Amino acid sequence: MIFVKRFFSAFLAASILFTGSVQTVQAAMISSAQVAESVFSGAADQDRARIITALSRQDVQAALIEHGIDPAQARSRVASLTDEEASTMATQIENAPAGSGIIGAIILVFLVLLLTDILGFTKVYPFTRSIR
Amino acid sequence: MFRKLIMLAFCLLLNACAATGVREAVQNPSLPRQHELTQTPFFPQSQYHCGPAALATALNAVDIRVTPDQLVPEVYIPARKGSLQIEMLAAARRHGALSVKLAPKLDAVLEEVAAGNVVVVMQNLGLSWVPSWHYAVVVGYSLDRELVWLRSGTFERFEMSLSAFQRTWARSGYWAFVALKPGSLPKADDPDAVAKAIVAFESNANKADVYLAYDVAAKRWPNHLVLLMGLGNSAYALGHYSHAINAFRNATIAYPNAAAAYNNLASVLLLQGEPVAAKEAAEKALQLAQSDPVLRAEVMKTVDEVNAYKAKKPH
Repeated sequence: MIFVKRFFSAFLAASILFTGSVQTVQAAMISSAQVAESVFSGAADQDRARIITALSRQDVQAALIEHGIDPAQARSRVASLTDEEASTMATQIENAPAGSGIIGAIILVFLVLLLTDILGFTKVYPFTRSIR
Repeated sequence: MFRKLIMLAFCLLLNACAATGVREAVQNPSLPRQHELTQTPFFPQSQYHCGPAALATALNAVDIRVTPDQLVPEVYIPARKGSLQIEMLAAARRHGALSVKLAPKLDAVLEEVAAGNVVVVMQNLGLSWVPSWHYAVVVGYSLDRELVWLRSGTFERFEMSLSAFQRTWARSGYWAFVALKPGSLPKADDPDAVAKAIVAFESNANKADVYLAYDVAAKRWPNHLVLLMGLGNSAYALGHYSHAINAFRNATIAYPNAAAAYNNLASVLLLQGEPVAAKEAAEKALQLAQSDPVLRAEVMKTVDEVNAYKAKKPH
């Protein structure tokens, strides 16, 4: 759906710029991302929106700041995730242990577990810091 | 000093027997025996910033000028003293590079290096239960000496045995990617990985770069649906309607059941003032989209546009 919206907003912008000269023809194109999604059986775009909604909550924002993450940065980070990545993230938020609540889940997702793997925090343990 | 000794002991321990996958790589006849990308720049990491340092190394290697400091706010999470894998990929895209994931095989990494592409890898230098995550950049290897060279941490040319590298890399789930300028392709014959990379690249990139990326990829893999659709869409976005029509036509030939290809073909044909051909394509799209309600709804719009066009201009 977002592709359609994106397309129409682009079209709208173009129509405003070229008022009068624009033909009545509009192209309803299907985006490459949409094709890729069906080809790779990837996930939906709503996931990204769900993460953004969660990130916009005040308590979540406070928690993010507490962990040294700028909420605006976090949001732009989400924006540049692919559908596949966003869907993994959203799933992890949803499947987080009930007790920890959404904040814990988001912090968990952002900071600890991602894509079933672990994030790239380096040299946390002093005795393995041997590369330096 | 103590730390170095531990690392040394560790490497010796790891060297005790060859890791799986190493022998295959060493005996792979298609790999040059030795290759090193000595011109690769080096950014020594400060504190825990191995993610930004590795990314800066990879981006500067393809002439995208960016410093680790610039990348820190994009990929570094202070509380965890580290960087997320997916953000490494996203940040590379944001700076104008395609992030193409590699197959989880040692050969795949060495093959890229031999082709001139440095490879960002994630390693766990500790053990699975005492992780010490680290990003580094593979810049060279020697199959005869069973070695790899990396830009790693504060070491400009960190030497590791292939076995030790393979083991530390295995613990990250063999995570590796190459950052490429649009118009370049990885050595690996993996059109799906490239298509995914370009689709992800689309959202933040300028139209000409997207077109270039699809164009080069579709020339190498001329029968890939996503690549052909991407080529058509990006040509359309630039206003190159006849190129777009070509790409969509090729997609319908290679994939006679691709409703999206017929739909987009119809839209562009209409823009080119060919309502008869457009109607034919739109009807074909509609026929193919019957089983998918979402797709069908979009195709209906195209059909409506074609009909509206014809109603407006009766010839």
